[in-house]
Amino acid sequence: MKTILHLILVSVLCANVNAQDQDSSYLAIVGGDIHTVTDGVIMKGVVLCKDSRILKVGKRVRIPEGAEIINAEGMQVYPGLIAIDASGIVSGRGAAVADSYDPYALNIDLALAGGITTVQTGGMVANLKHGTIDNVLVGPTEWVNLNYSSTSSAGRRRVRDEFSKVRDFMRLHRSWELTSSMGEDAGDEPEAKGVKPEYLSLLKGEATARLSANSLKDLLATCELLEEYPMQSVIFGGQEAWACAGRLGRVNARLVITPRNKKWASDDLNRPSGWTIENAKTLWEHGVRFAILPGENSISLMGLAGRDLMTLPMEAAFAIRGGLQQDAALRAITIDAAEMLGIDHRLGSIEVGKDANIIVCDGDLFHYRSFVQWAVVDGKMMYDKQRSSYFAHIRPRAEEVIDEIEEETIIDAPEVVDNP
Amino acid sequence: MIISSLLITLTSSLAWQQADERELVGRATAYRLDRIETLDGDALINATVLVQDGIIQRIGKVVIIPEYATVHDLRGTGAVMTPPLVLSHANFLQSDRRDGGNNSRFIAADSLWLAADWQTGLWEYGVGMVAVDPPGNGAPGRTSVLKVAASEKRPETLVDDLHLKLDMATNSSAKNLIRDGIKAAEAAIENEIQAEKDWKKSRKEWDAKKEEEKQAAEAAKANGEKAKKVKEGDEEQGPPETFEAPEIKDNEQAFVDWVRKERTVQVHMRSASDWLHWMQIMEDREENYEVVFSMGSTTNLHEVIDSVVTSGARIDLPARMSFLPYTRNRVNIAAELVAAGCDKLILSPASNSIAGLRDLRASVSRLIAEGLDPAIALRAITLEPALAVGQEEVMGTIAIGMPASFVIWSGDVFDPLTEVDSLVLDGEEKFNREQFESELLR
Repeated sequence: MKTILHLILVSVLCANVNAQDQDSSYLAIVGGDIHTVTDGVIMKGVVLCKDSRILKVGKRVRIPEGAEIINAEGMQVYPGLIAIDASGIVSGRGAAVADSYDPYALNIDLALAGGITTVQTGGMVANLKHGTIDNVLVGPTEWVNLNYSSTSSAGRRRVRDEFSKVRDFMRLHRSWELTSSMGEDAGDEPEAKGVKPEYLSLLKGEATARLSANSLKDLLATCELLEEYPMQSVIFGGQEAWACAGRLGRVNARLVITPRNKKWASDDLNRPSGWTIENAKTLWEHGVRFAILPGENSISLMGLAGRDLMTLPMEAAFAIRGGLQQDAALRAITIDAAEMLGIDHRLGSIEVGKDANIIVCDGDLFHYRSFVQWAVVDGKMMYDKQRSSYFAHIRPRAEEVIDEIEEETIIDAPEVVDNP
Repeated sequence: MIISSLLITLTSSLAWQQADERELVGRATAYRLDRIETLDGDALINATVLVQDGIIQRIGKVVIIPEYATVHDLRGTGAVMTPPLVLSHANFLQSDRRDGGNNSRFIAADSLWLAADWQTGLWEYGVGMVAVDPPGNGAPGRTSVLKVAASEKRPETLVDDLHLKLDMATNSSAKNLIRDGIKAAEAAIENEIQAEKDWKKSRKEWDAKKEEEKQAAEAAKANGEKAKKVKEGDEEQGPPETFEAPEIKDNEQAFVDWVRKERTVQVHMRSASDWLHWMQIMEDREENYEVVFSMGSTTNLHEVIDSVVTSGARIDLPARMSFLPYTRNRVNIAAELVAAGCDKLILSPASNSIAGLRDLRASVSRLIAEGLDPAIALRAITLEPALAVGQEEVMGTIAIGMPASFVIWSGDVFDPLTEVDSLVLDGEEKFNREQFESELLR
C-alpha cells in the first residue's frame, strides 16, 4: 500500500515535467536510502539518471514522464563497487579490452550480482555491462610497476639509480627552463638520455607507482623510497602496514589490502609483526587511504566460498569487524578505489554529473544476508536479481511474487467463448 | 545463310512441339510418386515428373507419359522425391588449413583432396552440390562450389571463386584483420579513382597539346612553311589510350570486391558477443554478408536473435538442439529465428564431416520435433543453400525447365530410418541403393 501511495506521489510529481528531449532516457531509483559516499546518506530519496549520467539526487526530485522507475523503498542505494586488479571478468590488455569484451559472459553477471560495476584489468578500467559492447571502457590506468622487493637488494639499488638519473635530469631541465625564461642563452634543451620515460612520468606526478609490500621490512623500505622520491603510489598487500601506518600516511601511500588475512606475530622477530583484522582501522586512523581486494581477485564458484570477487563487500565487512567505521569501508570499495585509478571524477559516489553506476541492495551492503537487487551501469539496468538464473529463487522480491500470482490468476481464468 | 538458319529454327521449334512423339526411346523417364516436395510451391501428392534429356519437361498430377519413356512407378511405396541436399560450407574435402592472417588470395578448389569414392560418400546421404570452404581462421580464402556429378575424379566445379570467408571472434586480432582488410580495400579503390582522375586530366592535356600542334602545323602549312619532320622513335609518348587501373594486391582483391558489393562475405562466428562485435564493425557499412554460426552444443545466440533477424542476413546454423549457457535448458535456435521472422535459414551438418552429414537429417528431425516447421527445415537443407551459392538454376527446386536433379527417399525425409533410394543428377541416376548394397556385398 505504501508503495502504491508513493508511486502516486511520484506520478503527481511527474506531471508538468515534460521530457524536453525525447531522445534521452531517464531512470529513477525511488524511495531508497541513498549512500552518496561523499555527501552522507539521504533517507528515502530519489536518484534520477539521464542517459548515462546522474541528473539529480535528493529527497524531492521531479521525475520526467516515461522514466523507468525502480522502486527501492526500504532498500539501500550505493554507488557501484569498483574492483581493483580484477582478473577473469573481462580479458585483454589496453584497448584490446574493448575488442575482447563478451557482454554475455557469466562472470560479468556474477560480478554485477556482487555489486561490482567497474573493474580494473590489463591496465584498463572497464564498466561491466550485460548485452552491449558500447562505451565499455572508462579509461586506461596510468600505473607503473615498480619491483622493489626485499629479495633483491641489487634490484632495489637499480630502481634507486634510475630514479636518481631521472632526478638529475629533472634538475638540469628545470635550471635550463629558468635560464631560458630569463631570456639568457641557455643552449639546447637537455635531452632525456638514458632516462626511463615511465620513471620520469612518476616523478612528474603524471603516473602512479604500483608496488607490492607485505612485511614491515618491505613496507619501511618502500616508505624510504617514497620519502626520497615523492610520487603517487599504490602498495598491494600491506599486511603489516598497521605497524608503520603513520609513516605510510606521511608519504601519502595508498594501499590495496585484504582485511581478512590473519597471521600470528612471529616469535623470532623483535619488532611488531603479524597480520591482523585491525589493519584497516589502524590505517584509516593514520589517514592512509586503501582499497580492498578479496582473497581471490577473480570470480570462483569453487574452493572457499565467500573469498572471491563476488563477495567484495564481505571482505570489507571484516575490516568493519576489526574496528573500521562503516563509511570508511564503503569508501574503500568505491571512491577511494576510484581515486587510485584516477577515475574519481566519474565514478565512486552518487553525485550529480557523475556516471550513473548504482547498485540497490535489499539490506545493508555489509550484511551477509543482503543481495544486490538491481545494478545500473551507465544509466541502464544491467542486472536484476529477479531475472538472474542464479539468485532469483533465493528470497524473491515480495512485489514480484504478487505480480506473479496476479498473472497466474489471469492465465487460469476460464476463456470466454462466444456461443454461436 | 539466313534461310538455312530460319529452317533450323523452324525444325527445332517443330521438334520441341512434337517432343512427346520423338523416337528417342530411353531418354525420357517418368517418376510416379506419392509425394513430391517441389520446393516450388506446395508439395504434390500422387504426382508424376517427366524427365527428358536431363530436363524436367512435365510435372503434375496429370502428365501424359510417352510410350517410349521408362516409368518408375513408386506409388504405394511411401517414397518421397525432393531436390538433392546442398552443403553451404563443407570443409572436409580439402587438405590444408590457412590459419591466421589475410590469406584471401586462396581459392578452396585449389586445395581439394578427394578420396576415390568421395562422390558416393556424398550421394549416399542425398547431397548433390557442395560449397567448399577454405578451412582455417582469419581470412582463409574464397569458397568454391562443386557439383557432385562428374564421372572423373575431379569434380565439376560450378564456381571457383565465390564468397570471401572471414572468421569473426571476440578479440582484437580477428577484428583488426577485418578492419584492416576493409581499410586496405577502401584505400585501393580510392587509389584507383585518383589514378583515373589523373589519367583523364593528363589525357585531356595531351589532346589539347596535340590539337595545338596540329593547328600550328596547319597554320605553318598555310604559310607555306615546311612541316618539321620528326624522327622515328623521337615521338613523344602520351598517356595510354585507355585507362589502365593500378594493380590491386592479391590479398586485397577479395576485400575490394566485397567493398564494391561485387562479392558476398561468408562470416563465421560462434557466440552472441561475436555478433555484437561484427555489428560494431558493420555499423555504417552496407556490404553484403551471410553469417555462419558455428557454435558448439551450448550457445547464447538467443540473446541476439532479434538483432540477427533485423540485419536481414542469410543465417547458416548447425542443425542441432542447443543448450543455454550455464544451465541444461534446451533451446531451438533455428525455430526461434524463424519465429522472429528469419526467412533465409540454412541448416548445416553440426559436424563438418561425412559423419556429420550422416547425422544431418536425424538432427534436423530433432529440431522439427521441438518446434521447427518441416517445410522450412527441408528448404533450409536444399533450396536455401543453393540460393546462398547462387546456383538455384542448377539445383534446389523440382520445376518445369529445371535440370532433373533430385533424390528419391525411401520415406519421409526426416524419418531417421529413411534412406536415399536413388539420386538423380541432370536426369542421370548417379546412385542407387540396391545396386550400391549389392556391390558392397560383393
